[in-house]
Order: sequence, then structure tokens, then C-alpha cells
Amino acid sequence: MVRQAFLLQRLPLLLCLGLLLLLTGYPLLILFLQSVFPQILGGSLSGFLEPYQRIAETTDLGAMIGTSLLWAGSVTLISWVIGIPCGFLLARTDIPGKLWLRLSLLFPIMTPPYIAALSYILVMQEGGFADAFLGGLPAGLRAWFFSFWGVSTVMALASFGYVALAVEAALERLPQRFDDAAAQLGAGLSQRLRLILLPLLLPAILNAGLLVFLEAISNFGVPAVLGTRSNLPLLPAEIFYLVTSWPVDLGLATSLSSLLCLMALAGLYGSRWLGQWIGGGRYRPGPARQLPIGRKGHWLGWAFVALLFLLSTIVPYLAMMLSSLAEGWQGGRPALTLAHYRELLSPGSRGASALLTSLGLSLSAATVCILIGGYIAYVGSRNRGLLQQLLDGIATLPRVIPKIVMAVALILAWNAPWIPFDLYNTVWMLLLAYVIIYITDALNYANASLQSMSVNLENAAAVLGANRFTVFTRIVLPQLGPALSAAWLVTFIVCMRELVASILLLPPGTDTTATFIFSQFEQGDISLAMAMASLTILLSTIVLVAFQLRRRSSH
Amino acid sequence: MSVFLECHQLHKQFDGNPVLDGIDFSLDRGECLVLLGPSGCGKSTLLNIIAGLLAADQGELRCDGEVLDAPAQGFHRPMRDRRFSMVFQDFSLWPHMTVAENVAFGLRVRGAHRSRIREQVEQALARVRMSDFLDRKPEQLSGGQQQRVAIARALAVQPRLLLLDEPLSALDARLREDLKTELGALLQDSGVTSVYVTHDQSEAMTLGDRIALMKGGRIEQIGPPEQVYREPSSCFVAEFLGSSNLLPYQRQAHEVAVQGGLRLSLNGQAERLPAQGNCMLRREAVCISQSACCPGDDVIELSAICRQMHFLGDRHEAFAELENGHTLRGIADGPVREGATVRVRFPRNALRFLPD
Repeated sequence: MVRQAFLLQRLPLLLCLGLLLLLTGYPLLILFLQSVFPQILGGSLSGFLEPYQRIAETTDLGAMIGTSLLWAGSVTLISWVIGIPCGFLLARTDIPGKLWLRLSLLFPIMTPPYIAALSYILVMQEGGFADAFLGGLPAGLRAWFFSFWGVSTVMALASFGYVALAVEAALERLPQRFDDAAAQLGAGLSQRLRLILLPLLLPAILNAGLLVFLEAISNFGVPAVLGTRSNLPLLPAEIFYLVTSWPVDLGLATSLSSLLCLMALAGLYGSRWLGQWIGGGRYRPGPARQLPIGRKGHWLGWAFVALLFLLSTIVPYLAMMLSSLAEGWQGGRPALTLAHYRELLSPGSRGASALLTSLGLSLSAATVCILIGGYIAYVGSRNRGLLQQLLDGIATLPRVIPKIVMAVALILAWNAPWIPFDLYNTVWMLLLAYVIIYITDALNYANASLQSMSVNLENAAAVLGANRFTVFTRIVLPQLGPALSAAWLVTFIVCMRELVASILLLPPGTDTTATFIFSQFEQGDISLAMAMASLTILLSTIVLVAFQLRRRSSH
Repeated sequence: MSVFLECHQLHKQFDGNPVLDGIDFSLDRGECLVLLGPSGCGKSTLLNIIAGLLAADQGELRCDGEVLDAPAQGFHRPMRDRRFSMVFQDFSLWPHMTVAENVAFGLRVRGAHRSRIREQVEQALARVRMSDFLDRKPEQLSGGQQQRVAIARALAVQPRLLLLDEPLSALDARLREDLKTELGALLQDSGVTSVYVTHDQSEAMTLGDRIALMKGGRIEQIGPPEQVYREPSSCFVAEFLGSSNLLPYQRQAHEVAVQGGLRLSLNGQAERLPAQGNCMLRREAVCISQSACCPGDDVIELSAICRQMHFLGDRHEAFAELENGHTLRGIADGPVREGATVRVRFPRNALRFLPD
């Protein structure tokens, strides 16, 4: 009886745990097992650790892993170098027009890195826009762009916004008193920056850096698009080719994936440890003064942000839109046409069906994500103990696990001989992948909102006789509303542009917007690819603006 | 004793609103001055100007003969060059440093030698009885412990002037009481000159060699605690410090008519008083009892009805309604019932006459 009551009480927790284990844990386990026992799907345990031996023996692979780490590291470094000053400018100076500055940071965050990379190729390649409009690019600049640092810079331009916004948020919480107390005791500006401000900001800087690092090391689009053109072999692209091109080498692909996972996890725990070791400590947030930087400072600040906006947004967007509208080139200037858009939107065309597929998938994935994510977050926040910690751990895994790894794991898991139904090679597979990969957003948003919500509200309803279901639907859900709708929006937008899972998991003959862009670009129909890219970004922007307007009017 | 800190006609405005409106005072070496007043009286602004966090708009600030602030000459000595130190209301210990690192910071940035830093840190922490917590992080300490460390941090650099900005107000009542006594002893022992901001009168009385009571950006009265308490210069001071009764009076020829049906001839002193004002009577000077007592020349006795009794712990406070309807608060002498007829007694020389 007691045991039964215990189980009944833990039922929601166990349910969530079971679901997550099936969705996330099972595929990752299969991936790992497959990398250790390459023949396991055939029912044999032979060849133990053989793929890892091959990695160790092949010098190319070792070098590539090193390059991948170095590349992600330098992307992080560049993002810090340009992002931290932006954050400081926004939080601690009296620079005017902060709303616009902040907005200019959101654009590059919203732009998918692979679209930025494609657009930059159009600008920088031989005979590209730079050549057409600027009359020839210095050879050195082009060589620099199609190299390690150029590719890093493109990726950093797409990610530095995270750093800037995180640093801004941290600086706004940091009380001025800490700085005053140091100045009072005779510390000069550089001493205060070095001994007080930097260590206190370090957790935020490391966290944002980690986000950028994970994004970079697991990003498939930029390595696939720019890396291949720059003779820069990177891990995600390599895994992709191992899985998709003949001869398929699942052993190597899974072992490389496991290594990629390991790096991501090492990054996560390493940065946490570093943050605790050097900086941190809890404190109560307090107000801060804004540093007057004078007219010259304002100009310099604006010029800095404007330059970043030009490079991160205006140049790639202009290239994208110009190519989507171009019909041939006459005398160095393109003739403009809407034909590509017409082709894209004509009913029954490949483009139109890709757009519809993406829309349908994103709408359903976003909805499923917030429903399941909201419930899991709720159950997690209202339970304590070992099971709850396990739930938390598994739920946050997809944040760290690179998307390409998750996609490979899903292929293995749902294409395994013991799966009786045909999920792989259907569109449902993709829906499953989207939900697994992006459920963390819903979880994060819901968690943040649940933390500020008092359990007493629920207890009050329970005292009045409401059962668990009623409490969740009538009390918790309405309060989670704003957080969940924000999560829905984010999930929808990222699903609309999801590239790597789509390209690996889509059944033949089906396209999403991202795979359409990718394949059309690679096949040379650049205008059509860019028309689709413009359309996707336009669509995301419309949804975003509509949401903002609705939220403003409901306040 | 020599003048150490001098404020001369300090003015400060925020967005056109005067916050400090002509502050004048001087402070001797080794003295503790308490800036006391209700919120918004300008006491924190004054402290911040002395600290150098803010610059004055007008006036002059000098320390040890050297000018710190002289807006007329466009001179403002930055905070970090003043060699003062400050204790903040919210402690403001750096959360990423240990207790020892926090206390060592001021010496470290001044480039003191390592062995000297160690010695001074240990000394400063021993003074506030925190020697056992050297390696703790601030978040592992209670509020009272954090504030002790903050005081040690401020004292370790041997500041010319110690500024304390409501250092006890973030602590709970019991702790506040303990730390107040400790802080008093510490200030006396170290002989440091200090300026202490508070809105709590008991802190002011305990710690201040002098109290400057502020109101509306001005110093209403400045003097030793006893003097400010016994001889308030205005109704505001009388009401802010302690509990008292204020009765309006009017001077009529050689007599004073106090509301409550009292006429007093003040032995020829009445002429020196303002024509009208308030007559102050401290609560503790008023004795309310049910038994009669023979009144002497110097004691005034009135008849009243007891309306309320409050138990204060060590005594009873009573509110007695006089025959003309005016209520006096005083201390009950012996058992007094609510509703009973009582005698209200107070010495004639307990009366203070204040201008409006």
C-alpha cells in the first residue's frame, strides 16, 4: 500500500523521466554503444573500440579535431572581443539610442549562420559583389576571408550578440557599490576593472562564451558552406559526410560524434568550474551609475556598433536580397526581377512544398515543445530529490549535445532492427528530432517563470479540492502563458531554419526551407536559394513583430 | 583638539531640487559626528559629498587644512585620493574574494608589502573578532559578520576619516543592538575621526560625540547628544528625539499661557521668549499617578483622567486627558487604571519653550 502510494505520488515525475529517457537517453545510448561496438546493430559485439583506434591512428582526423576545437575557441574569443565592449556600452555608459543599439544586436542573433555564410560567399568570392561594386577585392583580403580567421569571423559575427546581451544583463545587476568601495580604498580604474569588475562578470562572460563555443563546435552550416571552400575541415561537416556519402562509415561517425559530445560536455563543466574558481559569488543586485563618456565617446560607440551592424547584418542581407532579385548581370549591375519569388511560390513547385513542410513542422514542433516542456518543467520544479535531479540533467542534455550528434543518434535509434514501425524516412522523424532538440528552450523559459511563482497558489487551489490536472490546467498554465508563448515563438523561428537535422533525417524527395536553400546553393541556383532565405527571414520577422504587437496591446 | 574636517556653505541640487541648502560644520580630530534625520533630509548626500562620490555645487570642503571640494575654483579631489574609507549599508563586500582578501584590498592597491598586509589584516580582523573567518566567502557569513568584515576592511587602511552610511540598518534588531555597542567601543579605541549617518536616534545617542540633526537639506541643530536632547532648538528636534508633549503657548505680558489651562510666571524670564510657540515636556518628566501628593513650589500638579496605558517592558506609559481635553503622555507611577481620575505632575524646570 505504502509503495503504491509512493509510486502514485511520483507518477508525473516518473512519466516525464520515462519520456525523456526514451526521447533523448535512448538515442544517445545507442550512439555511444555503436561507437564502442561498431557491429552492435548487427547483433555482434566484435570490433570493440575499433573506431576510436582508427581515429587515433589517422593523423588527419586528429588534426581535424584539433582544428575544430581551435576554431570554436577563436570564434568565442572574437565574440568576446567585440561583444563585451558592446555590453559595457549598453549597460554602463550614457550613450543615447540604446533601444536601437540593442535592436542591432538582435538582428545577427536572428540570422542563421549558414545564411550569413552563404551571403558572405556571394560578397567575397571571385566575381562576387565586392568585385562588382568595389571594383576588385585585394587578393590578400580574399585569401584571408577564405581561411581559418575569415570563417571564424563570420561565425563570430553571428554569435557576438549573445555575449553582448549577457554582459549587459550581468552589468545591470552588478551594484555600483562594489566599484565605489574599491575606489574609496584608493583603487584606480584599471585596478577596479581587473580586480573587481572582471572577476564579478566572469561567470556571465564564461556562460555566454560557452554558448558561443557550443554553437560553433556543433554548427554544421558554416563548416559545410564556408569550411569546405576554405580548405578548413571541421568535425560536424566530416560527420555529415561520413553518414551521407558512400561508403557510409557509421562506426567512425558515431565515435567522432561521441568525441564531439565529450568536448561539448568538457566545455560546459570546464567553464562552470572556471567561473567558480576565479570569479562569482552570490550577491544582491543593485543599481549602477552610468559613466558619462562625452560626445566623442558617443560617436565612437555608435561607430563601433554601426560597423558591427554593417558587417553582421547589412552586408549579408544586402547580398542575399540582391541575389534573390537578380536576373543576370549587365555591365556590373544586376537587372532586377521578381521571377525567383514567383517560381518559389507557384503552387506545387519544390520551393512551395518545402515552405509548407517547414511551416507545418515548425508550427507543430513549437506547440508540442511548449506543451511537453511546460509540463516537464512544472513537474521538475515541484519535486525534490534524486529523481528530479536526474530529470533536470537529462532535460538539459540537448542544450549541450550538438544537433548533428543528436540527428545521427536518432537515425541509429529509430532505424534499428528492433523498431517494428517505419518512423525513419517519414516526416514524423523530423518532428521528433525538432522536439527533442528544441525542447530546452521551452524548459528554460518555463523554469524561469516557475521559479518566481509561489507554490502556495497551487496549494490554495488544492485545499479547495482541485485535483492535479485541474491545478495544472487552471492555475499553472495560465501563469506560464507569457513564458510559454515566448518559448513557442523562439522554437518556431529556430525550427523554420533548422538545417542539420533536416538534411540528415528528411525522407528523399522532401525539403524544408533550409535544405532547399542549402541544396539549391550547392547546385548553383543561387538566386532561388537566396529568395528562399529572404522569404524565411521575412516570415520569421513577421511572426516576431506580430507577437510583439499582440503582447504590447494586451499589456 | 584641532579642527580636522570643515564644511562651509555646501550646496547640492538634483535636477533643480535643492538637497543640501547651506551646510556648515566642523569636526575635530578623533571626533564622531552623527548625521541624523528622516529620509530625504540630505544626510546621505552630505556623506557622499564628503566621501567624494558626489561633487558639491557650491561651498567648500576641507580636510586637515587641504581643500577637497571647491566648486567655485572648479576643484574636486577624486574619491580615491582622499584616503577616507566608507562602510556601506549593504556591506558591499566583494563576493568573489575571501574575508582576508576583502580586508587586504585597500592595502594591496596601495602597494603595501605582503608581510605588512598580512599583519594589518590580522590585526583588523582581530579587532572585530572575525579572525576565525579569514578564508570564508562573504556569502558564508551572516549579516552581522559581513558588516564586521566591512568595518575591518575600512579600518585596515588606517583612513584619515571613516564614513559610515547607516551601517546597522540592514541588520535585525537584536544584532543591531550588540553591534552598536561594539562599534562604539571600536571607534573610541581606534581614535579614528568619523562621520556616521543614521535615522536611528539610539545609534546617534550611543555613538555620536556630537549629533547634527538634519531637515530639508539643512542642519537644524548640532551639539553633544545630551544638549540636543535636553535643549532642542526647535519643535522638529524635540519631536525627532525621544517622546515628548508639545503644548502651544502664548506670551501675555509677564506670564505665559500654556494650552491646558496653565499660567506660568517665569520669574521675569518670560519676556525673553518668542511671543508664541510650543512648550515641550518630555514624557519621562511627566509622572501620572492615582495617589495625591503634596505639590511643592517647583512641581506643577494637574488633575486628569487616564485614557490609555501601554506596557513598555520596564515601565508603563500613560495617556492622561486634562480637564480642557488636551492629552499628555507620561510615565505611570504605581498602578493606574484606565478611566480612573489621576494626578499629573511635572517639575516646572522641565518645561522648554520653543519657537514655532
